[in-house]
Amino acid sequence: MTEMQGIIAGAMLTLALGIYIFWPENAPANQSEKSRLDYLLERKEQLYENLRDLTFEYRAGKYPEEDFVAQRSLLENETALLITEIERVERTRPGRIALRAR
Amino acid sequence: MAAFGSFALLLALALATYNLFAGTAALRLLANGRPARISSDRLADTARRAGIASFVAVTAAAVALVWSALTNDFTITYIAEHSNRALPAPYKFAALWSGQEGSLLLWAWLLGGYGFILRLTHKTEVKLHAYAGTILAGVEVFFLAIVNFAAPPFSLLKGAIPNDGNGLNPLLQYPEMVIHPPLLYLGYVGFTIPFAFALGALMMRYPGETWIKVTRRWTLVSWLFLTLGIVVGMHWAYGVLGWGGYWGWDPVENASLMPWLTGTAFLHSVMMQERKGMMKSWNIWLIFATFMLSILGTLLTRGGLVSSVHAFAQSSLGTWFMVFLAIVLAVCVLTYIFKRNHLKSEQRIESLVSRESSFLFNNLVLLTACFVILWGTLFPILSEFVEGSKITVGAPFFDRVAIPIGIFLLFLTGVGPLLPWRAASLQAIRRNFLLPALAVWATVIGGIAAGIRPWQDSTFDIGRFYALVAFALAAGVLTAILSEFLRGAGVIARQTSRNLFAAIYLLIRRNTRRYGGYVVHIGVVVAMIGLAGAAFNRNVESELALHDRMGIGPYILENAGGSQDTNTNYNSESVLLDIYRGGKRVFQVAPERRTYLASDQPQTMAAIHSGPGGDLYVIYEGTDSDTGHPIIKALLNPLVGWIWAGLVFIVFGTLVALTPSLMPVAATVRMPAARTAPAEAALKGGD
Amino acid sequence: MATPLRFTSWTKALQAIALVVAVTLSMGAGNDSARFQDLSHRLMCTCGCAQMLGECNQMGCAESARAKAELTTAITSGKTDRQILDTFAAKYGATVLAAPTTKGFDLVAWIAPIAVFAAALMGTILLVRRWSAGRTQLPAEPANPEIDVLREQIRRETEAGIEGGF
Repeated sequence: MTEMQGIIAGAMLTLALGIYIFWPENAPANQSEKSRLDYLLERKEQLYENLRDLTFEYRAGKYPEEDFVAQRSLLENETALLITEIERVERTRPGRIALRAR
Repeated sequence: MAAFGSFALLLALALATYNLFAGTAALRLLANGRPARISSDRLADTARRAGIASFVAVTAAAVALVWSALTNDFTITYIAEHSNRALPAPYKFAALWSGQEGSLLLWAWLLGGYGFILRLTHKTEVKLHAYAGTILAGVEVFFLAIVNFAAPPFSLLKGAIPNDGNGLNPLLQYPEMVIHPPLLYLGYVGFTIPFAFALGALMMRYPGETWIKVTRRWTLVSWLFLTLGIVVGMHWAYGVLGWGGYWGWDPVENASLMPWLTGTAFLHSVMMQERKGMMKSWNIWLIFATFMLSILGTLLTRGGLVSSVHAFAQSSLGTWFMVFLAIVLAVCVLTYIFKRNHLKSEQRIESLVSRESSFLFNNLVLLTACFVILWGTLFPILSEFVEGSKITVGAPFFDRVAIPIGIFLLFLTGVGPLLPWRAASLQAIRRNFLLPALAVWATVIGGIAAGIRPWQDSTFDIGRFYALVAFALAAGVLTAILSEFLRGAGVIARQTSRNLFAAIYLLIRRNTRRYGGYVVHIGVVVAMIGLAGAAFNRNVESELALHDRMGIGPYILENAGGSQDTNTNYNSESVLLDIYRGGKRVFQVAPERRTYLASDQPQTMAAIHSGPGGDLYVIYEGTDSDTGHPIIKALLNPLVGWIWAGLVFIVFGTLVALTPSLMPVAATVRMPAARTAPAEAALKGGD
Repeated sequence: MATPLRFTSWTKALQAIALVVAVTLSMGAGNDSARFQDLSHRLMCTCGCAQMLGECNQMGCAESARAKAELTTAITSGKTDRQILDTFAAKYGATVLAAPTTKGFDLVAWIAPIAVFAAALMGTILLVRRWSAGRTQLPAEPANPEIDVLREQIRRETEAGIEGGF
């Protein structure tokens, strides 16, 4: 490949990439903010996981009974408070429920 | 081709720069929320596409360089210096990373490749990906600027064009050398992605910990590549450098180990953040440090600050890397200062004896190891600065300091998984630690009975002492992991009336990350056994005339003649040795010495025979100047194979951890549905 | 009776540690070939290969052959390890020693890792202790019927058996 050919090939590459970049896209991905509700639902999912894990490890014999009961109680309280908050947020933003329910 | 390659590199730089600036502008617009002539979404999308296009352009440049190597285009300085006509094609391909300019191009290409995937998969978390993509573009701009201005791979040879090139360094003409550098670079470069996500998440005050879930795979994949790169490099050193060892504590080796250590620490402590919202600042800094250490490693070795067997030409690149590192550090520190209130922990560690604090100690040990290695690597520079004279900090220093740390880490590997979250009661500890503790003591007694005695002939052999401790701990850790699998599988077997194997399979499928992680731990333990086995290595060296014999361990080596060979790439000379065991000839080995024609460099090719009793490693050291008889060095490395076996477990375990877990049906369903659905989620654990 | 017993076991442990330390420090005086192995792995090769003397395998490395011969002579002439290392350091410069010495500024190289590890360990232990001291006790069960209902529901959702398959 001569130098001239190389430059021509480079120019063609530039053109192709330029078209790709600036090709009109009517629906670019929307940069929506994550809502408080999303965050709370994620937290709830995680707390459920933690609870399931706790139960599993207990059944696998890794926890004595009283440790298990105490820790489960802690986690359940935390989750219950979280769920009340989720319900409060959902009540104040009725539009979200329909959108979120799967 | 040179013109096209240079053009493509310049284009890639321009596109990455556009990505950086347009991306930043779009994110600023979005943050300010002011209406502008162009929508921020649209602008961000062109930035993202420019990033993708930049990768295409770098790819074109990389293809141009490989093409030039394959077609022997010696008008390009780089090709003339790192290739020659007789070089086999795979090694010509490897010319891309056999020199400084090429390996930086490879770096830029891999970075672009990771960025390509990131930018294509942006729909999962659009805004987070926009931040990460823009930060990544900043790093790309740096590497592309280097290959454009500081170390251009396509610069043309001045003066007459040679008929043939200088050839590839013979040390690098080995199959593993074709894959070792790309693997290592995939690891180094890969850590840029979690870094970009972490910095981006901090900049945008990302609510929650999901960014960790987004980056989890990236981190694991990078970690896997880095691990593979390091171990393949060890195997290469073992097979090629011909001294019978695999790790020399060379600055370049150290440079690869440091980000591995912080990366490993991150993989562990990040679980606390995901699960309990703890240690946020710590994790952010771990990933920052991992990224900066991979840049620092390059600075140390390319900048000519420290001397190394991986001698790349010393160059002005050190300054570039130093400036870049300073910028990265400044950005990290400033972002952290302005946004640190976003990183408040939601919970705290509640007990010194808990899974949480075991993670903390794991981090402590890994970071101490990292510090020790950094310290040892930089101490010669410090000493020169303070005392005015350079000293060597070599293997004896690192062995003495790092081995106890490694043993402590092995201990934690066993303890961590057995401790419950939050706090362990005495009863729980007794229950979980009984079996592993028994395994430890049984191994100590068994080991001493089998002759692994640190006290021999009234001297204390520290190597054997460490080996015994390591074996005992390894047995404890393996017992602990095994009991984790069996207990978990037991619960599943009881409740689903599956047989044990089906239960273990289901157990792993339900929580691939945890049980994959345990398999990785098994691999680490197996590799540690191999490393500790170095205490039992033996070697002999002797001049062997024809039909002379020498013995090592159970083997007798007999010189059965020599042979010479010539091809277009090298001349070789080898000694054929018959190996006897118990009076019978069991196999032959032929250690070799080569002289590469293009570079006129000699090279030993060790002969390695791996058997169940370990490796017999034979080196043809040269000929005696008086008698002309070959000098043969033989090493017996009984456990070295365990290191490579450990890698197999590590790779398998990481792949398991990368597989998505089976989600229990009820877990993803929202509350109303969950009330009626059989909640079979109880066995699904998180980490 | 318990206290003296514990005391003796502690003294025994200390004695054992002291013995280990003493033996470790006095090791290294074996036969000549063992000493050669040991010393050639405490010296660097001066040919620029960045390998240890006992491991330098650079083809045609004249330096290592000469240095190895020198080392053998020194060992047979009855010099102590320290004398041999000092001679080498005087002749080839301090970089010939594979590890820092324990004198002067070199000592810092050895102390820093231990100091950093000790400091980090203490720091971590203190931090965790402080955290766990201010640990929140189990919050009183909220006598809120709504919460109790939720807790029931959470327990059902996370604790049921797994009769169903995957």
